[in-house]
Amino acid sequence: MDRTDESTSCSFVSRRDFLRSAAVGVGAALAPSVPRVASAQSGPTKTPVKLTFWTWENPQQRPYQHKRIQQFMQQYPNISIEFQYFTFTDLGKKVSVGYATGTAPDGFATGDWLMPTWLSRKLIAPLDVSLLGYPSLDAFRDDHAAAFVAGCIHGGKAYGHPTWFYGFQNWANTKHFKEVGLDPVKDEPRTWEELGEVAKRLTIKKGDRFERQGFKFAMHAAQWTMIQFNPILLQAGGQWFDGTGKCTVNNAAGVRAMQIRASIAKKYGAEDPADSQATPPVPWMDWLRERCSMFSSVPMGPGAIKPINPTMDREGYYRAYQMPGVTADKRYSTCYGFNLVVNAQASKAKQEVLHHVYRYMMSDLVDVWRATAPLTLARKSGWTDHPEVKGAANIDAIIRSKDTGMFLPRTPVWNELADAMHRAVQKVLLANGDPKQALDEAAAEVDRATAEFKKG
Amino acid sequence: MQTQTETLSRCSALTRVRLSYRQRIRAWGIGFILPAILFFAFFKYGPMLWAFWLSFTSYDMVGTPRLVGFDNFTSVVHDPVFIQALNNTLVYIAGSTALITLIALLLALAVSQRVPGSRAYMSGMFLSNVMPIVAVCLVWRFLLHPHGLVNQMLSPLGLGRIDWLTDTSLAMPAIVGVTVWRFAPYFMVVFVAAIMAIPSDFYEAAEIDGAARWGRFRHITIPLIMPQVFFVIVVSALLSARIFLMPFLITGGGPGGATRVLSMLVYETGFSYMKMGRAAAISVALFAIALVFTVLQMRLFMRGEED
Repeated sequence: MDRTDESTSCSFVSRRDFLRSAAVGVGAALAPSVPRVASAQSGPTKTPVKLTFWTWENPQQRPYQHKRIQQFMQQYPNISIEFQYFTFTDLGKKVSVGYATGTAPDGFATGDWLMPTWLSRKLIAPLDVSLLGYPSLDAFRDDHAAAFVAGCIHGGKAYGHPTWFYGFQNWANTKHFKEVGLDPVKDEPRTWEELGEVAKRLTIKKGDRFERQGFKFAMHAAQWTMIQFNPILLQAGGQWFDGTGKCTVNNAAGVRAMQIRASIAKKYGAEDPADSQATPPVPWMDWLRERCSMFSSVPMGPGAIKPINPTMDREGYYRAYQMPGVTADKRYSTCYGFNLVVNAQASKAKQEVLHHVYRYMMSDLVDVWRATAPLTLARKSGWTDHPEVKGAANIDAIIRSKDTGMFLPRTPVWNELADAMHRAVQKVLLANGDPKQALDEAAAEVDRATAEFKKG
Repeated sequence: MQTQTETLSRCSALTRVRLSYRQRIRAWGIGFILPAILFFAFFKYGPMLWAFWLSFTSYDMVGTPRLVGFDNFTSVVHDPVFIQALNNTLVYIAGSTALITLIALLLALAVSQRVPGSRAYMSGMFLSNVMPIVAVCLVWRFLLHPHGLVNQMLSPLGLGRIDWLTDTSLAMPAIVGVTVWRFAPYFMVVFVAAIMAIPSDFYEAAEIDGAARWGRFRHITIPLIMPQVFFVIVVSALLSARIFLMPFLITGGGPGGATRVLSMLVYETGFSYMKMGRAAAISVALFAIALVFTVLQMRLFMRGEED
């Protein structure tokens, strides 16, 4: 047991505890007159601490997190953090394996859809919001999008420090629009039917080969299947589970959603699902290389566009629309975000230091925006009013999709649900499967998983 | 004083226990193999036994395993996902074993003709086996793309576009094809060695008796390389039963679960769904399949030794 552990086990109030309580008290007293997150940050322990932190690979977010962690280590040389990253789709599995083998990191970033997985198994520790700069849990809750923090607050305790959080937009190549006589402003597709018609006009085929796809759904990973199917299901009036926890994706609304999902390829002939399935690079790569005209994606900016297609970046022939809806008044997409969480198996000393690390990582939101724009953030304060944010291209569609977005189902059988739905979509789109039968199989699979989870 | 002397002499007698020559040889032998025994006990058989025990428990990798009897086995055999994965595994084993054996034999016959360049040809073929499996899978994923090189090479035949990896009926044959491409040259070497070991007198005598090429192959080559044929069948089936990376990296088990084999299901169930007990039950089923081939292989070796 190191010194910090000893101090936490003492029955009397330590000097650090006293200072922390005093700081929280002062913070609470000043709350109405200062920004909700105090800018000054108290230092962590002076004892040497070695931490491990895992995150996901992304050309903007991963380097930013790495940079902030390195800066933190420079400020506190007694703290060493081993930084590792994995692909977006692999991170959750790697962490699971880590827990199974006793090699899970002390802290890690996680998609908010995985929070029930960690929480139901008590794998992550509750956070002390005062160490994150908030006087109370309510202040923490108020400073973030309600639906997002709902996923990280459990039993009156916060379990995740929200970072980035964004919706999906329909990214369109306006040059392609003009080539086929479409007006990028007037012909913005507002419903899935309109999107199908527009995509059909944008499609170029040579025999059985697509020279250009009008619109493209990502087919390469279960997470993407869920991200794309989720809003269509909700727009069609469906839901993932009923009140008893039974999977209801196979009801009439679910079947309609699947038909809409498949329509771009099957009804409008504007998409090649086999092509998308067979080449899983970065999902939006085909749009960046102008092999497809529209693609639903998280916010994209010059940082993502320029390295792949400098001409598109230079001439600016792209535009972000809100995603279409079943009807024009239901134009919402999936929203998701990432939490920084603490391994419940890490020592108390490490858990406390991680609070300081996380707070430091996300303490300067304008700096975060500069480094990762136009990826939006979960926090309400500290960035949206900044001129650099307000002046960003496509910012209206980007912010609106974040504010109106729908969340992925929060369930402890998330992985089973995502895999079952991925197979259902593949069966319908690649094997001409019947939507109802494919969804029946998926729902049955999810119900079996839920029953087993409940059995314990 | 006398008692002390007696005790001392008894101790020295104990330390100087004389072992027979046979006992000493045995002791040395045990000493030499002990590290290997301990290694396998701790890192192979120990985990295997633990996995076997886990198959009777409910364990989410975090809490303590809870005994559930045969629950995992009964729920697994009624699970359509398991049935599909089992079918896929058996189809894969049958397809890849048959084709590996056939192609390896044909390659070996071609190489053993002792024509100029045959050694270089053999070395070239063997390269597919030394390439890293991840690189092989990624390259094949692009080759088998709807607009990939394979389809482009087939287009003069008027076959049109073939969705190798996204058509549910073609994805498994495609994986089998990649497996054959990788492993057939490896087993070719086994056949080449066997064919080269056949005395040329046999062929000369058959030729004098008027035997044609096919007759010589059927009545001399095949009977004399039969032990190697059995060996290749058993070992390639054993390798196929444990296949994981190829379907995992090339198709991810898709489309619609068409290439999801048992080892992938074990991985998903254990490490993605955190159901280690259930994953262990599936791995016991996989173990049973592998055991059948292992027993066959051992019998084959024993018969070979007796011969």
